[in-house]
Amino acid sequence: MENEVLSYDALVIGGGIAGEETALNLAKMDYKVLLVEKELSIGGKMILLSKVFPTLDCAACITTPKVSETARHPNITIFTGSEVKGVEKKGERNFEARILRQPRYVKEDACTGCQECEPVCPVVVKDQYQFNLVGRKAVFVPFSIANPRIAAIDIENCSLCGACERACPADAIDFSQEPEEKTYQFKSVVVATGYKLFDPIKMPRYGYGRYKNIITSMQMERELAPTRPFNTILRPGDGKMPDNLAYVLCTGSRDHTVGNPICSQVCCMYSIKQAQLLMGALPMADVTIYYLHIRSFGKGFNEFYETAKGMGVEFVKGKIGKISEKENGNLVLRYDDIETGQVKEVEHDMVVLSVGILANDEIGQVFKTQKLEFDDYRYVKQIDELKRPAMTNIDGVFVAGAASGPMDIPDSILSAGSASSEAASYLALTE
Amino acid sequence: MKEKRTVSEEVKANIKHYNKMKKLIKDALKEGPKTIPEIAKATELPAHEATYYVMSMRKYGDVVTGEIDDMDEYFYYHLNQKN
Repeated sequence: MENEVLSYDALVIGGGIAGEETALNLAKMDYKVLLVEKELSIGGKMILLSKVFPTLDCAACITTPKVSETARHPNITIFTGSEVKGVEKKGERNFEARILRQPRYVKEDACTGCQECEPVCPVVVKDQYQFNLVGRKAVFVPFSIANPRIAAIDIENCSLCGACERACPADAIDFSQEPEEKTYQFKSVVVATGYKLFDPIKMPRYGYGRYKNIITSMQMERELAPTRPFNTILRPGDGKMPDNLAYVLCTGSRDHTVGNPICSQVCCMYSIKQAQLLMGALPMADVTIYYLHIRSFGKGFNEFYETAKGMGVEFVKGKIGKISEKENGNLVLRYDDIETGQVKEVEHDMVVLSVGILANDEIGQVFKTQKLEFDDYRYVKQIDELKRPAMTNIDGVFVAGAASGPMDIPDSILSAGSASSEAASYLALTE
Repeated sequence: MKEKRTVSEEVKANIKHYNKMKKLIKDALKEGPKTIPEIAKATELPAHEATYYVMSMRKYGDVVTGEIDDMDEYFYYHLNQKN
């Protein structure tokens, strides 16, 4: 690539809300930033949400201006579909990172995102950006508000038929592209790798995967979003519009048996948010939330919880033991009613598992010369959590957002502010 | 690209399978609009698979959503006449 810059002030790993905020803050201070994102679009998990709590603002409407600003800022270079393979600290304000860029097999400067290639592609595989609820083509624009909004070819599933090449009006398909690994120089590094969602397949007693009308909260986010996979909210098991839904809180969090004993901070509130949205979308539906404790600790959270109760959402303090399926696809929840001490069974026609969030600790193996330290729960260790929360054990490497622990969107943005301030202070010492 | 890469049997089988499902569903809908359980019955597909394929066909314009049934439970889907 001609005129390629190989040296930057900061490497920001992760293009979610924390990574974007960090990159923007640094870029506005005139630092040159390289933002590396493993997915095909920046925006992280937030861009895939329906609305945010407790304001019920449209998530896409809030996040896309920031995504756009990040993508258009002259001081920020973005690599999507890319991974940081190794970071070596060579000295103070001297980091070397190997970055692998996977090819899209589409010329980024030529593709207009018109999606003319999609209808002609004969391949349909599960759409990871719709959490497998619907199919996508082997050549695809990840989702309608993706940034960059350009197509990519899933080469593992491509039939190499050439139909997309023939259909593309911009002549943007390029099968000659190859993976490219290069070494870049940085003065500082910010880890903003976010979190992983708990996979409820690890809790067979809940039947996720086996019973088709049990979905995760992230799948429900997609069903509630304007760019939803179905025409409305439907059971994936048979396309029925549900009218009696259950939420199971703390699925994969506060649970030693699955190795995640801590609270995920966001599940209570996003479940209450979804319940409110469901009451709006399905006015005749009953929504019941099975909980251990409702943790509505933030500004406006308790009022939001009270609003849900006022709207008719039922809250049952109970621990779910087992879920079984009836012949008609309805689910029977067997639970310990904590208020009465009785074991009860109740039938619902759709169940949403409010999955917890887990540390994304793969970033650990990236740091070669000095190991990045993690806390007891595999989040990046904050060496001075109260006074300097963005500091890690490696001088010049900072942490932003949920990479340091479970947190909601406003806290991630706040954390990114701290990380960018620390990085700027560190960079200022060279000037 | 074809010199460097071969298309796996899995990819070929997946294309064949999707085309078969698409044909089954289109044939079922030729008789008129159907709900997903009706499509599943006509095609002998499990209902969750019928949902997945109908929704994928809907996404790419082969199928469109019609009215909801009298019980307000299931939508009818029909072939997109524009195709």
